[in-house]
Amino acid sequence: METDEELVKRTLGGETDCYGVLVQRHADYLFGLGMRFTAGNREFAEDISQQSFLRAYKYLKSFNTKKKFKQWLTGIAVNCYKDLSNKENQYLSLEVIDEPSYTPDLGGNTGFFELIKPLAEDERAIFTLRYVYEYRIDEIAEVVDLKSGTVKSKISRALEKLR
Amino acid sequence: MNRLEAVIEKEKEIFYSQRDKDLFSSHILILIHQERESKKYKRKLCLALFLGIGTLSLLFSRISEIANDFTVGLSDAITGDILTTVVFSYGLLFALLALLKKPDFIFN
Repeated sequence: METDEELVKRTLGGETDCYGVLVQRHADYLFGLGMRFTAGNREFAEDISQQSFLRAYKYLKSFNTKKKFKQWLTGIAVNCYKDLSNKENQYLSLEVIDEPSYTPDLGGNTGFFELIKPLAEDERAIFTLRYVYEYRIDEIAEVVDLKSGTVKSKISRALEKLR
Repeated sequence: MNRLEAVIEKEKEIFYSQRDKDLFSSHILILIHQERESKKYKRKLCLALFLGIGTLSLLFSRISEIANDFTVGLSDAITGDILTTVVFSYGLLFALLALLKKPDFIFN
């Protein structure tokens, strides 16, 4: 089986179908990430997954094949989550309050979804990567493009909120 | 803290699956293809606009010269060849019409 990095090289060489293999390989991972970030909103999670794959293809040339594709994709997913959340918040602020509110499709561990609800977007992402996916602090720092110290302080702030 | 750990441990065991993975993958590839075609189209449109504007600006810069050539050419034609041809052809036409109206003059 070809590695992700080999598939990226072939995609960049003009074999677009190879990107389809990458999409299939990481679709569940990105969807799961989206579900956890959005506290179980399936549609939102699918949007994040789709946007992440499209953005990853757009910036595929900038991917360093010496690094892990999955980790690079995670960084893109975090950015997509933040961008889409901002857009959604703008949209929600324009909505009429009397209209029925949207109820997300909670499929999964509702206990976890309830747990992370008080957290801000970046705290949710960092907390999920640290405790559910067991990323190291330096890996998270690389993924979210922050200093390790900042990541640590965000994690401790998140833990304080959850206690 | 134990409750927090328990919730996280439970969450780790859950596997989320993207529905219709084949369809999702095809959809992504179609969107990528569309985006690429749209970029190509925009590039072609920009090139066509650039060439169109270039040609028009070239044409407008020489418009007075072309108009001048046309006016001079037309005045030469009126004073010269065209005027003679017109007088000759209309004269011939009237002569033939006159002859057609009085055929006896020719045949008798």
